[in-house]
Amino acid sequence: MTDLIELEEPTEPSTSSREEIRRISDNARARRVVTSRIMVALCGVALLIAAVPLVALLYQLIDKGAGQLNLDFFTKLPQTPTLIAPNATGGISNAIVGTIALTLYASILAIPVGVLVGVYLAETNSKFATTLRVIAQTMAGAPSILMGLFAFSFIVHDLNVGFTAIAGSFALAVLMLPVIIISTEIAVRNVPNSLREAGLALGAKPHMVSTKVVLPSAVTGIVTGVILAISRAVGETAPVLLVIGGGFTNSWQPFNPVSAMPLAIFENAKSEWPSQRAQVWGIALVLVAFVFVLSLTARIWASRKQQVRN
Amino acid sequence: MDPVAVDILKSEEVVAGNTPAATPRSWYSNVLVVAAVLFAAVSVGFVGSIFWSSLPTWVHHGGTLLTSSAWVSPAGPFGGLSMITGTFETSIIALVIAVIIGLGTSISIVFFIPRRFRTVVATLVELLAAIPSVVYGLWGLLVIAPWMEVTVNPWLNKWPFAKTIFGNSGQEFGTSLLLASIVLGIMILPTFVAISREVIAVVPQDLQEASLSLGATRWQMIREVVLPTAKIGLFGATFLALARATGETVAVALVAGSVANAQFHLLYPGTSIAAWIATEFGESQGTEISALMALGVILMLLNVGLALISRALVSRQRKVLARV
Repeated sequence: MTDLIELEEPTEPSTSSREEIRRISDNARARRVVTSRIMVALCGVALLIAAVPLVALLYQLIDKGAGQLNLDFFTKLPQTPTLIAPNATGGISNAIVGTIALTLYASILAIPVGVLVGVYLAETNSKFATTLRVIAQTMAGAPSILMGLFAFSFIVHDLNVGFTAIAGSFALAVLMLPVIIISTEIAVRNVPNSLREAGLALGAKPHMVSTKVVLPSAVTGIVTGVILAISRAVGETAPVLLVIGGGFTNSWQPFNPVSAMPLAIFENAKSEWPSQRAQVWGIALVLVAFVFVLSLTARIWASRKQQVRN
Repeated sequence: MDPVAVDILKSEEVVAGNTPAATPRSWYSNVLVVAAVLFAAVSVGFVGSIFWSSLPTWVHHGGTLLTSSAWVSPAGPFGGLSMITGTFETSIIALVIAVIIGLGTSISIVFFIPRRFRTVVATLVELLAAIPSVVYGLWGLLVIAPWMEVTVNPWLNKWPFAKTIFGNSGQEFGTSLLLASIVLGIMILPTFVAISREVIAVVPQDLQEASLSLGATRWQMIREVVLPTAKIGLFGATFLALARATGETVAVALVAGSVANAQFHLLYPGTSIAAWIATEFGESQGTEISALMALGVILMLLNVGLALISRALVSRQRKVLARV
C-alpha cells in the first residue's frame, strides 16, 4: 500500500507522464502475456478433456471385457440365464457369424457399384455427375437409422422378404455406397493427368487407359475407402436393428433371420441379469478390436500410398 | 464418421483442381453409366420409399404428429413433439460441449503440439470416431449413468433454481436427457475436431507471422487473426457436428431413458427422433410404423438441411481463403 501511495506523489509533470505511460504499457503487456498463457493452457486442458473419454472407455472395455473372453464365448450359442443358473449366458457365436455374413453380403452388393460410380464421377463432368456427387455426400452423412427404415419398407415390406440377413445387408450396403463412391472418386482424380495422357499418346483406347493405367494407380486409395466403409458397417446398430430379426442360430443363409454383435450389445445392455450385462463388455471389446484393426489397416494402406507417391 | 467428413472436404478440392479428358462412348463407359443410374435409383428409392410409407400419417394425422406429445401405441394418437424437442435439447447441449472442447483441441493440435506428436493425436481422434456408437451407449449406460445418479445429479440439484432446470431424477438408473447430451457431445467431438482442424490449419502462414511481428502474443494472434479468418469454416464444422448429433441413434436410445414426454427438465428421461424409431420399431405395426416413418422424414429433412448449410459454409470459407 505504501509503495502505491509514494508512486502517486506529485513530481515534475513531464517525468510523471513518461513514467505513467511506461507503467501503463508495461501493465498492458503483462496482462496480454498472462492472458495468452492462460488461454494456451486452457486449450491444452481442452485437449486433455477430449482424451479422457477415450482413455476411460478403452480402460473399461479391456478391464471388464477381457475376463469374458474364452472358448465358449466364441463358439457357443447364447442362453438366457435362469434362477437356477444365473451365470449361464452361453456364447455369442450367432452374433459373430451374423456380423460376418451381414458385412460380406453388404460388401458384395456395395463394392462393385460403389467403385464403378466413383470412377464414373471422376471421369465425367456432366450435370448428372455433379448431382450424384452432391447426393453421395449428403447420403454419407445421413442418419444410419434411415437406411434401416428404407430396408424395412423396400425389402422387408414391399418385396415381402421378411426379417432376414439380406435386408440388413441391403441397409448396410446403402450405408457403405456413398463412402466407397467418395473415396474412389478422390483416388481416381488424384492420378496425375500426365499418366492418362501418356497412355492415350501410346494409342490406348480410353477404357484401356482407365482400366490398365488409372485404376491400378488408384487402387490403394480405393482399398482404403472400402476398408473404411466396411469398418463403419461392422459397428452399425441402428440399420440392422430394424430388419435382421435377431436369429438365435449360426446362420450363413441370406434369407434367414440373423443376429449381429452390435445388436447383441444393444439388447443385452439393459438385461436384468448381471451376468448378461457383464458379457456385453466382452462383445463390445471384440467389436471394437474388429473395428480398430480395420481402421488401422486403412490408415496403413493410406500412408503406404503417400510413400509411393513421394 | 470423421474420415468421411474430411473426405467430403477433400473431394471438393480435388474436383475443383482436376478435369479429366473427355471419354468417348464405349462398352466401358456404358457400364459406368449403368452403375451411376443404379445409384441414382437407390437414392431416389431411399427418399421415396420412406416418404411413401409415411404418407398415411401425413394425410390423416399430420397435425397431431407435429403438435401433440402423446404417443399411445398401438392405436394412436401418435404425437412427435416430445421426440422433436428431445432431439433439439440433446443436440444443442451436445454441440455446446463439443464446440468448447473441440475448438481448444483443434487449436492445440495445430499450434501447440510438437510436430512429431501430431500424427499420434490425429490417430487417437480418428480412433475415437471409429468406436461404434453402441459402445458409447453401453459405456454411458453402465458406467456414467450410475455415477451421474449417485454423484452428479444430487450435486447439480443443490444449486438455487436447479430444480427448474434439472428437475428431480432417480428414475431409470440415472438415464436422462443430460446424460444423452454429454455422451452425444463426446461422440460428435471427433467430427468437429476433424473439420475445424483442417479449417484452422489452412489459415495462411504470412497472416499469422504478420500479427506476431506486430507484437501480438500467441493468443492475440489466434483470437484476432486465425479465428476471424477461419470463422465461416468453423460455423460449417459446427453445423456438420449438429447434423451428426441429430442423427445419432442407439447411444441416445440407451442413455436417454426412452420416455416420450415433452419437458425441459434435463435430468428427466426423454428421447429423440432417431432413438424413438429404434426403440419403438420392433413392437409396432401398421399405422404406428407409418408414424415412425413420418418421424424419419422429419429427421431426414432436418439432417439434409443442416448438412447443406454446413457444405455451403465450408465452400464459402474456401473462397474467402482463395481471396486472401
